Amino acid sequence: MVPVMGHAPAVDAAFHALSNPTRRKVLERLSAGPATVSELAAPFDMQLPSFVQHLAVLEKSRLVRSTKRGRVRTYEVVPERIAVAEDWLSARRRAWEARLDRFDDYVTQLKEKESGS
Amino acid sequence: MSTHVAFNPKLDFAIERFIDAPTRLVWEALTKPEHLKEWYMPRPWGRVARAELDLRPGGIISIDIAVGDGPESPNVGCVLEVVPMQRLVWTSMLFPGYRPAVFDDIPITAIMTMEPVGAGTRYVFTALHRDAADLETNKASGFYQGTEMAIDQFVAHVLALK
Repeated sequence: MVPVMGHAPAVDAAFHALSNPTRRKVLERLSAGPATVSELAAPFDMQLPSFVQHLAVLEKSRLVRSTKRGRVRTYEVVPERIAVAEDWLSARRRAWEARLDRFDDYVTQLKEKESGS
Repeated sequence: MSTHVAFNPKLDFAIERFIDAPTRLVWEALTKPEHLKEWYMPRPWGRVARAELDLRPGGIISIDIAVGDGPESPNVGCVLEVVPMQRLVWTSMLFPGYRPAVFDDIPITAIMTMEPVGAGTRYVFTALHRDAADLETNKASGFYQGTEMAIDQFVAHVLALK
């Protein structure tokens, strides 16, 4: 069973996309609803070619997708792909919690042994 | 066709170059898609993925550009005026066939003029904007800088055609 390993490229792409403050802000904005390139670019003091490159990274990670009408490109989030990052973090948390539980059990056993002797 | 253009430095910008090449070559480099592809997009920024130009009023001007490995952005507008070896005017306010355009970028009307000066050519690119805010946005977004870079590439391309 390799569900997490099998998703590795998608996880890489998702976390790479999320590793930049501009891209996270764009995702925050898109969480409120679809937006065009001009709407997305407006709050940033950045030249358009650089900004468009951030959009390209987000789209490559498939956290967002875009559609074109006339000269307008509109972006929206892909919720299923956001879940890729969420699932990875949840799996790590479960692993750590299981480990802590085992540690807790072990310490409890030690304690019982000590009080038993 | 006589044309009146009121250039307003508060709304518009013009970039002028002397090109040490015959006007015929300047016109060719400006209007043939295979040449447009070579110089239209600043090379450090990306590339032209596709270029199409129908040299008549109402004709298509379509230059898809791509930044890095990103998706291709359509740049499509309508040709307004064609005077071979003198003047080409197009606007992004309209789609081909004078269809009102769907856009969310800053629309411009672009005027390219050329005239022989000795054995060379004086070339002027003018971009008309709706208002001062549009001009400011186009300067901040890199459009102005990109146009200057493209014109320098254009001049180099024409000189290489000689």
